[in-house]
Amino acid sequence: MGFWRRIVELVSGRRLDREAAEELAAHFEMLVEKKVAAGLDEREGRRQARIEVGSPGLAREEVARGRTGFVIEQAAREVGYAARVLRRSPGLTALSVTTMGVGIGASAVLFALVSAIVLRPLPYPDADRLVRIFDTNRQAGVDRSGVARGNLIDWREGAPAIEAIAGFYAMGRTFSTEVGVEVLITAQVTAEFFSLMNVQPALGRTFTDAEWRAARFSNAAAPIGPDPVVILSHAIWRQHFGGAQDAVGRTITLERRPFKVVGVMPDGFAMPDAGVALWIPWDLPADAPRDQHYLGAVARLKPGSGLEEAEAQVNRVAADLARAHPETNAGWGVRLSPLRTETVGDIGTMLWVLFGAVGLGLFVACANVALLSLMRSLDRTDETTVRMALGASFMRLLSASLLESALLAVMGGALGVAIAAAGVRALPALTAALPRLDEVVIDGRVLWFIVAVTAAAAVLSGLPHAWRRTRAAPAAGVVLGSRGATDSGRRHRLRDAIVVSQVATALVLLAGSALLTRSVLELRGTDSGYEPTGVLVAPVFLDSQTYRSGDESRAYYTRLFARLAAIPGVTAVGGATTVPTSPLGPDFERPVWPDGAAEGSSLRMPASVRMVTPGYFPALGVRVADGRAFDDSDTPDGARVIMVNETLALRLWPGRRAVGQRLVVDYSTAGTYPYDVVGVVGDTRFKGPRSDPQPEIFFPHAQRPYLILNVLVRSERDPRALMPVVRDALREVDSQKPAQGLYALEDLLGSTYARDRQAMVTLAVFAGTAIFLAVLGVYGALSQRVRERAREIGIRVAMGADTRRLVGWVAWAGLRLVGLGVVAGLVTSWLLAGTIEGLLFGVAATDAWAIAGSVLLVAIVGLVATLVPSWRATRIDPVVVLRRG
Amino acid sequence: MAVEKLDLVILKALALAPLHGYGIGQRVEQMSGGVIRITLGALYPALQRLQRAGLLRASWSVSDNNRRARYYTLTPSGRRRLVTAQAAWERNVAAMSRVLYADGEPRP
Repeated sequence: MGFWRRIVELVSGRRLDREAAEELAAHFEMLVEKKVAAGLDEREGRRQARIEVGSPGLAREEVARGRTGFVIEQAAREVGYAARVLRRSPGLTALSVTTMGVGIGASAVLFALVSAIVLRPLPYPDADRLVRIFDTNRQAGVDRSGVARGNLIDWREGAPAIEAIAGFYAMGRTFSTEVGVEVLITAQVTAEFFSLMNVQPALGRTFTDAEWRAARFSNAAAPIGPDPVVILSHAIWRQHFGGAQDAVGRTITLERRPFKVVGVMPDGFAMPDAGVALWIPWDLPADAPRDQHYLGAVARLKPGSGLEEAEAQVNRVAADLARAHPETNAGWGVRLSPLRTETVGDIGTMLWVLFGAVGLGLFVACANVALLSLMRSLDRTDETTVRMALGASFMRLLSASLLESALLAVMGGALGVAIAAAGVRALPALTAALPRLDEVVIDGRVLWFIVAVTAAAAVLSGLPHAWRRTRAAPAAGVVLGSRGATDSGRRHRLRDAIVVSQVATALVLLAGSALLTRSVLELRGTDSGYEPTGVLVAPVFLDSQTYRSGDESRAYYTRLFARLAAIPGVTAVGGATTVPTSPLGPDFERPVWPDGAAEGSSLRMPASVRMVTPGYFPALGVRVADGRAFDDSDTPDGARVIMVNETLALRLWPGRRAVGQRLVVDYSTAGTYPYDVVGVVGDTRFKGPRSDPQPEIFFPHAQRPYLILNVLVRSERDPRALMPVVRDALREVDSQKPAQGLYALEDLLGSTYARDRQAMVTLAVFAGTAIFLAVLGVYGALSQRVRERAREIGIRVAMGADTRRLVGWVAWAGLRLVGLGVVAGLVTSWLLAGTIEGLLFGVAATDAWAIAGSVLLVAIVGLVATLVPSWRATRIDPVVVLRRG
Repeated sequence: MAVEKLDLVILKALALAPLHGYGIGQRVEQMSGGVIRITLGALYPALQRLQRAGLLRASWSVSDNNRRARYYTLTPSGRRRLVTAQAAWERNVAAMSRVLYADGEPRP
């Protein structure tokens, strides 16, 4: 058929259809004439002709089907019809659209998170070739630590699989402007850092070789080279330079020294982590120490080189170094790990679990829409049977039914897009620190996901209804408006199956949320070994330009502590280089052993080193288990003293008193000496309730002064209320030395399990919604059953049936649904236990209390859902029902 | 009725003279001795199809008893198709017969 003809047909479709109708009518009339000629009367002739011809509409449609454009017209007609059907019950439609929209929107947000954080590569060119390097020492029991600067060049030269290696170290530095002073997190990075990341600056340039060579540092990590330079992060450039194009070339004041701005990194460059505001160059001299394991290291693999290959090569270099420098490198090897794994961490498990939970929630929502459609279709049985009797085909009815749910789903999907967009915008406010959160967007992938989910929702919510409809027997329903006892068991089996699946899914979600709740309670209830309530943390970073000697920094802290102690309500003030749950401060380990322990003895082990002031233990609320805590008698020139925690005491001197023993600490450049153990303190879970206590040693800050101290202020007041006073005190002691920030220790502790709390809340919301929808399902199914059986119930009542038995009959039906749902839910929960295991703390995935509690809740709520229909059954007036029948 | 058979029957019915739809049905029924009856739902779609394939032409005209009706005429290519289709059909029937009676059973 020619193209032209198609066009003609398309535009003159109506005329062609009219002609076909006329032709068919003529055919029919001729048939009637023949019947009449054969001796039948006109009426009978027509009747027989009609039987012979069959459905005229169907024949017209058959003719039209071949015509171009017909399919489109028919689809448009069907859509219009479906829209009319939906408009007829606006309440149900709105409910269905909202339910689906929320489900689709929520799952889209979770998918956006999974997509951006877990699935997408990091936003750097060829990011899959970027790896982090860690030092490891199996002999000393060190699984993973920072690397030593002195080894970087040897690694780089000895491992052909590695293209480049850079080291970095992040610390707080004071940034002064006319408007104020603040402490920013700065990263000092070695040469190759930017070229290795392969990210071009948004403005200006990265550091030159000359700048890198000139960038020397004092022992206290203070840049002391001439003409210091700095690169700004995108955020700090916007904040302090208002995004000005001429920011490059200006100077900023860092630690009271002028630094020239040479470049601005683009938005999204978050290396070593998202909090870094400034980068400064760091030289890499050949004589850098080989045994101070505190650097972060990143490397780029050569194209085609594997991680294992590179790791093996670096380890061969490390073995050579151990032979060449046994005093510093013996026992040390390396581990490589993809940068992505290190950036994203173990967040993947949680996101997948939540994504699954949202998926289950969406399933329950679709089931609810399916139920609503089913109920609507039951009120329309007459219409369906009429359509079937008129010759509507199976496929036609099926597509009509699916079209209704597709319309609902499309509206729901549109609502879902809106909800997802709003949700993604609100994410930073809603979620605790998630990695790569700024990369979460509604992109093409998320939109495709929404399309797919919408299609799935359309089919899922439309199929039961469609299936039901095409099963309607025309003969049974053709007596219009009949109210016979047409209680087909099949119809109920389908509806009941949906309700059971809803109850089961709700139970799964509920059990998951109960487990997470228990887990969070366990985390909160875990004894961390200290008392976080009422403690304020103020990380202070002194600079070595002003505080050149230990005496000067000691004097600063003495003055600061005196001022802080004078604040009304303050009960203790102290400081330590590192405090529990705070990420700031130098956290490192040194090898220790009891004096006299042989070389290679199993009593040589690494211990975390902390410099503390006398007020530290009372301020943190750590118990002194034996001996004494440091006090003012531990002066710079007093006897060398040390304290240990119970874990270390137990490992080194099991069954004996640690106090009075002598402990040797290999302190690298500061020398290896024995120290008198004067006290033992209780263990702390230093990195949050999930972490186990590790061996720790404590030096008096007076004997080993440090510029960085996390200052602790314990008071009887809310630490948040204390913040302005503490800020003032800091400013009075040194106006150029604010704290990096002020934190309530409780919040810091809470942030270590903020994700758990968030997962718990999210799951609880979905569980709550699911149980609500499931209850609606149970309620709806029972109400409908009572309505359909009204006649039967009426007869029973008229015959004198006992109301108790009536109630029992309805309630039993409800309990059967809930019971089956609970059984199915228990089996599913048991099958899914493994997926949530990794998120739990102190509670098994099959925890009896959590499961039993969830079952009980489902049972109670299910029972409530049966009450109203049961009561309604007893209120049926037999007279009314029987008269209506 | 299989499509090719239906098409063949319709083409054959129109070989003598133009007919309207009802007439085609009557003619086929009569020619086949009442064995082949074409239902409405099959006839008109088939006419549409053949028309579209350029084998038939349709035009409105007035019937014997003064009724407006659409008459179908074979086009030249319709005639050619009738010849080839009929030949093909006969070959088929002959082939089928050979298969069915290859064992020498007497014909019914």
